[in-house]
Amino acid sequence: MILALRQTVALARRSVVNTIRLPQAWFPALFFPLVLMSIFTGSFGDAPGNLPGFPPVRGFLDFAIAGAVLQGMLIGGTTAGAAFALDIEGGFFDRLVASPASRVAILFGRLLGAVVLAMGQALLYIGIAVIFGARIENGPLGLLVVLVIAGVLAMMTGGIGIFLALRTGSAEAVQGTFPLFFILLFFSSAFFPRETMTGWFRTLADLNPISYIVEGMREQIVGGAAAGATAFALALAAALALAAVAACSWAYVRRLATA
Amino acid sequence: MPPAVEAHGLVRDFKGGVRAVDGVDLAIPEGEVYGFLGPNGAGKSTTVRMLTTLLRPTGGTARVAGHDVVRDAGAVRRAIGVALQDAAIDPLMSGRELLRLQTILHGLGWATGRARASELLDRLELTGAADRRVGTYSGGMRRRLDLALALLHEPKILFLDEPTAGLDPPSRRTLWEEVRRLNREAGTTVFLTTQYLEEADQLAARVGIIDGGKIVAEGTPAALKAEVGDPTLTITVPVGDEEASRAALAGLGAAAPGGEGQVCLRLPSGAAALPAIVRALDAAGISPSGLDLAQPSLDDVFAAKTGRRLEAEDGAERSAGEPLAATP
Repeated sequence: MILALRQTVALARRSVVNTIRLPQAWFPALFFPLVLMSIFTGSFGDAPGNLPGFPPVRGFLDFAIAGAVLQGMLIGGTTAGAAFALDIEGGFFDRLVASPASRVAILFGRLLGAVVLAMGQALLYIGIAVIFGARIENGPLGLLVVLVIAGVLAMMTGGIGIFLALRTGSAEAVQGTFPLFFILLFFSSAFFPRETMTGWFRTLADLNPISYIVEGMREQIVGGAAAGATAFALALAAALALAAVAACSWAYVRRLATA
Repeated sequence: MPPAVEAHGLVRDFKGGVRAVDGVDLAIPEGEVYGFLGPNGAGKSTTVRMLTTLLRPTGGTARVAGHDVVRDAGAVRRAIGVALQDAAIDPLMSGRELLRLQTILHGLGWATGRARASELLDRLELTGAADRRVGTYSGGMRRRLDLALALLHEPKILFLDEPTAGLDPPSRRTLWEEVRRLNREAGTTVFLTTQYLEEADQLAARVGIIDGGKIVAEGTPAALKAEVGDPTLTITVPVGDEEASRAALAGLGAAAPGGEGQVCLRLPSGAAALPAIVRALDAAGISPSGLDLAQPSLDDVFAAKTGRRLEAEDGAERSAGEPLAATP
């Protein structure tokens, strides 16, 4: 049990270190949400005051942080899945499977790595936003809650990414699903509040679970509103993460059994 | 004492009805170096993947170190060291980091792992490169690191899948030396696949020749060659003249399979038959550009069993590297 834990941590460490060692892979992924955040903030800096229906916020930057964190998590899941697929393609996965290492550690090491990376990334985004004048209204506790939601979210996206890696065995196939994540993101309240949307766009955003998760994080950052949104976001993210982890565990067991 | 590796009627079918391994029986005693020789796609790697628990057999059974490869896969994994084809090593990690990871994967103590890692790095001449990323290693260095990783937990049985494919001769010899040393000093059983005749000849105490998923011959290299018997004469003739040459030489030796521009004859009387052969070719107006009389090689064994030559099949690949001596 303790050995399996050590193996999980060692494999998580490897996936974190390896991700960092390949800057060409993560740099655009890390940068893009920041660029988007700054463009939106530059264009809509006054929006909170002028856009009808925009909830009361200190500034657009505060509002935009949660969207950037969310994007980071979606990209992170794809990265984790693609890295897992590369291990399969390159044979490193076989090396792990041929060793007496805990079967659980081989899968969860990668998932844990994705969660650690995601939390670091979220912290980085928030740090940069704070340097540019944003504020976490709910303080250190609020920050912690945002990081936890981000971690749970990363477990979900990482789970989906690894599920795809196990089913296809191809990094390209995993990366190919990336635009789908983005569609999900755009039809949510990640970038603009649902209050400012109308018609079918609003309906889609209302149906999109991503909306509720991002709003839960935002609650902690812009402050105010009841804790209900945060609790709901956390519960929703946890449920989705559980489903994703269950799916990738199933794919993993299947791959080991039918290999 | 049970055999180190034992298989009965081992079969592996893949989707689409391809039978990669078709009823392989193995009995490899402890401490033997066994060479599995065959062309690409013969079923060598599939067999190794089944014996190392990476692939489930679709038929038959196999036991490694006394443990069933399906029911007791964990015990098999603890007993074996595996260096798979193409040295699947993470290019972003350093050699030492990979050894450290392997230490944890095998549940070895930290101090033990450290001591063995530095000893292995030393022995395989990797100490200087230990802290460099594997991506910067040469092919030979990767193979040596791969071997170090496979040996870290001091396995009793070592599986090497094409350990020297694509390596230059000095790297190849270093690896051979290490395999011999392991077998001699630690008594390690070695199961090695190869498509190089010389490698099987040099390293293996016993050779199994596999073709089309079946073992077509098995024995010590000397016994296998003796079975084929007679020396083989390879005559290089202009392309297109093969048929005419064979007709001219009928009765002077037993025809054996040869490549393009080659006519091969088995000569029970050896060199004594050469003058008659030269005269017959001359009479037929054929000018050979080469005559090569060779004692039987494992390739001749392969040819005798399958009607094809191993050399011709992997010739394209080898021409990029070192031309292996087919005829000692």
